[in-house]
Amino acid sequence: MIGDEDFRRHCVAAALLSAAILALVLSGYAGRDRLAEIAILAIFAMSLDVLVGFTGLVSLGHALFYGLGAYAMAAFATMLKLPAGLAIPLAVLVAALAAFLVGILAIRVRGVFFIMITLAFGQMGWAYFQRSRTFGGIGGLSGIGQPDLDAIGLSLANPADMALIAVVAAVLVYVALARVTASPFGRMLVAIHQNESRARALGLPVQSYKLAAFTLAGAVAGLAGVLAAERTNFVSPDLLVWTVSGEVLIMVIVGGLGTLVGPALGATIWVLLRDNLSALTPYWMLAMGLFFVAVVLFADEGLYGLTARIPWPKRRRPSDA
Amino acid sequence: MDIADLATQSLNGLQFAMLLFLLAVGLSVVFGLMNFVNLAHGTLYMVGAFVGFSVATRTGSYWAALAAGPVAAALLGAAFYFLLLKRMQAAGPMKQVLVTFGLIFVGIDAVRWIWGEDSQSILAPTAFGESVQFLGLVYPSYRLFIIALGLAVALLLHLGLERTRLGAVVRAGVDDPVTAASLGINVDLAFFGVFCLGCALAGLGGVVAAPVLQVYPGMDVAILIPTLIVVVVGGPGRLSGAFWGALLIGMADTFGKVLIPDFSSFVIYAVMALVLLLRPSGLLAARHGS
Repeated sequence: MIGDEDFRRHCVAAALLSAAILALVLSGYAGRDRLAEIAILAIFAMSLDVLVGFTGLVSLGHALFYGLGAYAMAAFATMLKLPAGLAIPLAVLVAALAAFLVGILAIRVRGVFFIMITLAFGQMGWAYFQRSRTFGGIGGLSGIGQPDLDAIGLSLANPADMALIAVVAAVLVYVALARVTASPFGRMLVAIHQNESRARALGLPVQSYKLAAFTLAGAVAGLAGVLAAERTNFVSPDLLVWTVSGEVLIMVIVGGLGTLVGPALGATIWVLLRDNLSALTPYWMLAMGLFFVAVVLFADEGLYGLTARIPWPKRRRPSDA
Repeated sequence: MDIADLATQSLNGLQFAMLLFLLAVGLSVVFGLMNFVNLAHGTLYMVGAFVGFSVATRTGSYWAALAAGPVAAALLGAAFYFLLLKRMQAAGPMKQVLVTFGLIFVGIDAVRWIWGEDSQSILAPTAFGESVQFLGLVYPSYRLFIIALGLAVALLLHLGLERTRLGAVVRAGVDDPVTAASLGINVDLAFFGVFCLGCALAGLGGVVAAPVLQVYPGMDVAILIPTLIVVVVGGPGRLSGAFWGALLIGMADTFGKVLIPDFSSFVIYAVMALVLLLRPSGLLAARHGS
């Protein structure tokens, strides 16, 4: 049985998906490419929401795993010539493993220190890829191998197909993360967020749960990175720089923490605002920054929180029957 | 690397360390008082540098710029305090951090709007325009001026903090704000004073850095991250933490660039990660477990 809150969440998700399908059908080349970007960033933002919104760990280095997924995909597909069916899961595994290792160290500190240590690890990754000759240094790598999807009549070189795959992936990630966060495991993460000492006093292995959340978030961010590499056919250190981590944090907060669909909404708003505002003014980050500050100040639950004002139909509870 | 190189690089490291100290000290003590990190601290440094640039261009005087930069940064900081920070105290530190994070983006574009995209510079004062020779070294005298200024500021702050009543109030506020307030100390007022002083020092850093580094939109982010690393490494809340942290990071960065140029940008992050793992509250933490 799902409650009113979940009902609203799934309704907003369905509305967002309908808009995506509409955009897929109606828009042209550029619009579909933008849709693919939105879907990929939505996956990225949802993965960060597991950390920030559910577990209460504010990371400013999440782009590390996004970039690692993309670079790992490039390495496996381009350098080692592995088939995509193998390269994609391996790339996600690399991101998950990296998140596990970074997580072991990072979860030892809390609060603002956690922000700083994740920032440090993210910037170390960025510095590495900037200098690495193997991975093309600042220029990055282009010509990422694209999986042969002729069998199902798709080609990733075609933005419509890329957008379709990215949207399907985003839906699958949403469903999977919604299930995980609603599971006992997910409730434990929320318990840690709300009162860590109490969770510890109840005998919860807090550190193991935090590490599991960090690893899960890293793996999903890695998947977003794989898709980003496929979409642009290009990887560069720009994928890992700290502003990318900052931007995805903005998407999560503007959309609505701890709701999954909120961050997806945030990613959508981010891309649309960026493209439309930057066409109007070169100073669009000023407007974006003020908008972000206003959301933090006045809209606790982000834009998703505003949907609570819609008069949703009340659902009958089993006990009412 | 011979002795002369070592000495030159040590001076370079010291000079960068003093610049970092000017920025880190305000950030660190405010963190100690309020457990909140002002991510827009770099913005004040950038505004100080640009205001200094405008004043230097109009008046032709470096010293006028050196006075104007800190004043502009302090005024902006005070406005920021009254418009946002004071109203948000109940909201908790994380929300304050996020607001200042948003302000970084606002700051960069506002500066681009007012002063344009181009890199600018302020000329070093004529008194420090040339290099000096000492101990067989040739070294730019302006950089020595930065080192001297940084050390002087550190000494003044140390004396102010240890020997004055205001310093005692600030130390009490860092150690235990609740007890300090219950003893009748106006912690809020002390915080406001320290906050403005920290902003002024960031603005001072901006003007001081201008003849050596470029003045451009985005210079705030370039200095913000090493500054945050200094605060975390040194342990927030202590003047000595900001000083020794700045020295460690300034030296690590400078020698990293010389010894392992390929991975120089790696070094300060690695130092920070190491320090956090060995001492999760920084080398010289004011409060444990906060």
